[in-house]
Order: sequence, then C-alpha cells, then structure tokens
Amino acid sequence: MFLRTIRAERMKLHHSPVWLAFLILPVLPAVMGTFNYQQNIGILQGQWYSLWTQHTLFSCYFFLPAIIGVYCSYLFRLEHLNHNWNAVMTAPIPVAYVYLAKLISASAMVLLTQAWIGVLFLISGQLCGLNLPIPPELPEWLFYGFVGGSVVCALQLCLSLVIRSFAVPVGMALIGGISGLVAVAKGYGVWFPYSLLSLGMRANQPGGAMQCSTEQFVLNALFYVGVCIIFAVLWLKKKDVVAG
Amino acid sequence: MIKSLVMEFWKIRRRKVWTIVAALLFMQILWLLWGVNRMDAHELSQGWMFFLYQFPLLNAIMVPVIAAVTASRLCDIEHKGQMLKLLPTLMPAGRLFTAKFLCGAFYMLAVVLLQIAVMVIAGLVLGFAGNPPLDKLLYYLLFTMTVSITILLLQQVLSLLFKNQMIPLAVGVIGSFAGLFSMFLPPGLGKFILWGYYGVLMFVRMDWDRVTRITDFYYVPVDWSGFGILVVAFCLIYLIGRSLFIKKEV
Repeated sequence: MFLRTIRAERMKLHHSPVWLAFLILPVLPAVMGTFNYQQNIGILQGQWYSLWTQHTLFSCYFFLPAIIGVYCSYLFRLEHLNHNWNAVMTAPIPVAYVYLAKLISASAMVLLTQAWIGVLFLISGQLCGLNLPIPPELPEWLFYGFVGGSVVCALQLCLSLVIRSFAVPVGMALIGGISGLVAVAKGYGVWFPYSLLSLGMRANQPGGAMQCSTEQFVLNALFYVGVCIIFAVLWLKKKDVVAG
Repeated sequence: MIKSLVMEFWKIRRRKVWTIVAALLFMQILWLLWGVNRMDAHELSQGWMFFLYQFPLLNAIMVPVIAAVTASRLCDIEHKGQMLKLLPTLMPAGRLFTAKFLCGAFYMLAVVLLQIAVMVIAGLVLGFAGNPPLDKLLYYLLFTMTVSITILLLQQVLSLLFKNQMIPLAVGVIGSFAGLFSMFLPPGLGKFILWGYYGVLMFVRMDWDRVTRITDFYYVPVDWSGFGILVVAFCLIYLIGRSLFIKKEV
C-alpha cells in the first residue's frame, strides 16, 4: 500500500519541471565557485578542501534550504488546490502515508542533488587541474548532507502542510537557513534543524571533524524527523481540512 | 488608478503580507547589530561605511526572496480565486498590473526606509564618527529601491504569467544566488545579472589586510552607467511584462 502511495506521489509530479531547479542550483556555485577559487588561488591553499568550501558555503546556508522549501511547497500545493484534500483524506490509506510519501519524494530529490553536487565538484576539480587525490571524505560529506537535507524537508513539509500559501514557507526556509548560520557560528549547530545541512556537508571546515560527534548528528536528525512526522500525523488526524 | 491601488491593499488586508517582510528585515538587523556590538575605535570611525557596505550584501541574499514572496502573495490570490477571468472585465488589465506593482513597491520602499532608520539610529547610539552622511544615504535609498523594484517587477510578471508559483519562486532563489556570487567575481560581470546590481551599485569597497587583520572601507565613484542599464532594464521588463499580461489568455 505504501509503495502505491509513493507511486501516486511520483505520478503527481509527472512532467512537472520542479527537478529543473535542483539541476540548475548546484551548477551556479560549481561555475562561479570554481572561478572564484581560480582567482584566489594564492589565499585558498587547501586544494580540494578549499574548492569544496567555495562550492558549498553559500548554497548550504541560504539557497538549498530555500529551494527545498520551494519543492515542499509544491508537493503540498497539489493538495491545497482544486479541493484535493477531500480526495486525499478519503483515500483508503493511513494519513501517515500521505506525509511519509511526500517526505520520501522530497528526500529522494535531495539525494539526487547531493550526487549531482558531487559530480560537479569532481569535474570542477579536474578542470582546475588539482593534482592531489580526491578527498576520501567526499561520500561522507554528501551522505551527511543528504541526512541534514532530509531534516529540512521534514520541517518544510510540516510548514507547507499548515500554511496554505506557496511563498510563505519559502521565506521561512530562508530565515531558517540564515538562523542556521548563526547557530553554527555560536556552536549550537547540531541543535538547530536548518544547520544540520551545512554541518553535515562540512561547508565551513571540510578538513576537520564535524562540530559535534557523528552519533549526536544522526540522533538529532532522527529526532527532528520523528517530531515532524508525529506533528504532521497529528495535524492531519485532528484538524479538519480546508479544501478550496 | 488610486481606486485600483486601494483595492489591492483591501484584498490583502488580512493576509499579513508584511509578516514575512518584517521577519526577514528583523534577521538582517539582528545580523548587523551582532556585527557592530564589539567595534573598536578604528571601526567606529568608519561605521557609516561599514553599514553601507554590509546592507547591500545582506540585501543581495535576502531581498530577492522577499520580493519573490511578496509578488507571489499579491498575484497568487488572483490565480486561486480564478479572478483573472473576472477582473479584466471590470478594469483594464494594464491598470491591474500597475496597481499590483505599486502595492508591492510599497513594501520594498518600507524595507529600505526602515533599513536607513536602523542605520541612523544604530550609528548615533553606537557613536559612529561624524554625522550621518545624508548624501550617501540618499544614494543608498535610490539604488536599493531601484534594484528591489526591478526584481519585484520581474517576479510579478512571472507570478502573473505562471499559475504554478514554483517557477517564480525558483527563479527568485536561483537569481539571488547568482547575484550574491557575482559580487565576488571581477567587477563588470554583475552587470549581466539583474540580481547582481546590489553589488554593481555599491559605492563602498573593503580592503582587508591579511597581515594586520585590519579592515579599511573607502568610497568609490558611483557606477552611473550601471544605474542607466538598470533603469533601461526596468522599463523593458515593465513594457514587455505588462503587454504579455494584457495579451495572456485567461
């Protein structure tokens, strides 16, 4: 049954150009970040590590959360419009499936984006002529970035479930991303859901360890996703829908 | 026209459009005050320049998204209520377009004026050297307002033309990203990106000495040719966007 819900979710997105945004977004830092790296090669001496910072710094803090916000808003916009809530809530599936299917769909997009960021990073490194071997931590950065991104997805989906406007949750995602930057700077990154993305991707210090232990990172990520799932299920169960 | 504009504000009277604008402005102010609370004498001596350098940078990150959200909220009500079929039978479509733009521009103006008020109040409280540089603040008002309303206009055109609000919002986020990046690239490149004009029209530059770790700010001449290009871009987007909206099949 759950697999069918996910398939239904995929069908709703059929022919939607939403993936295009995720395709374009990482290209910008890849092109401009690499260019910036080339210009400042005297200051940035960490080779692959410096290049990684150039690629990820701005996107993790400000733009990936915002574009995830756009995607999550779109997933729920499909239900908010055309009286769709009536159909969704009377479908013979537990309400949790509705939210979980959307979460999986959004997280899958984040996973693909991370893979794309990795590919672009490797290509840029080759074009820059970096002669050191590729950093062995790269898969780890991308994976933890995916974990952090999934937390942002879970949270944004909750916001888009509650707020019927398309644009407001996107603005909130940007606010969250900026607050996340402050949280990381103050050392509380692991406690703030929007910081987990940049923390996981090691946007500011790719060479060293994470600001917190890996266990704590994963535990906090699971905790936030769990809280979001419980909130969404309770909301869907208790609140009457507004169809219009 | 006045009546159309009043109607726009009447439509959004309970939509609290200002909340997201206020929240982002609040973040900006917090960020800046966080940066100024431990300034030494050297930094206080160039405090005004510090503000005039930092605000355009923060604007490049935040204002394009504020503009995209504001434009989307103003235009989305018409899509949701299927009003674009009805409204052009009651008023010229061009007038609706202009009224919506002026309504959104009001929020952009409010943002810039509040920013300037924060700059002046914070500068006086913290004791920046000298009086507030009125001419520079007026330049800041003119340039920031022009860039913001041009971006708002583009967002409004997209939000009206596409029922799917994902497109304008994604353009806003990606554009803002490109604009921010263009500020770190060689000057001139920003002129090709609308969102990069916060950087193009910045008239304060920063010089950071790696050895002494001292930051020096200095004024540079205003890039009037860049401003001219921006005004032309505004006129083109306005004319093309308005005619596309008028000709659009509802």
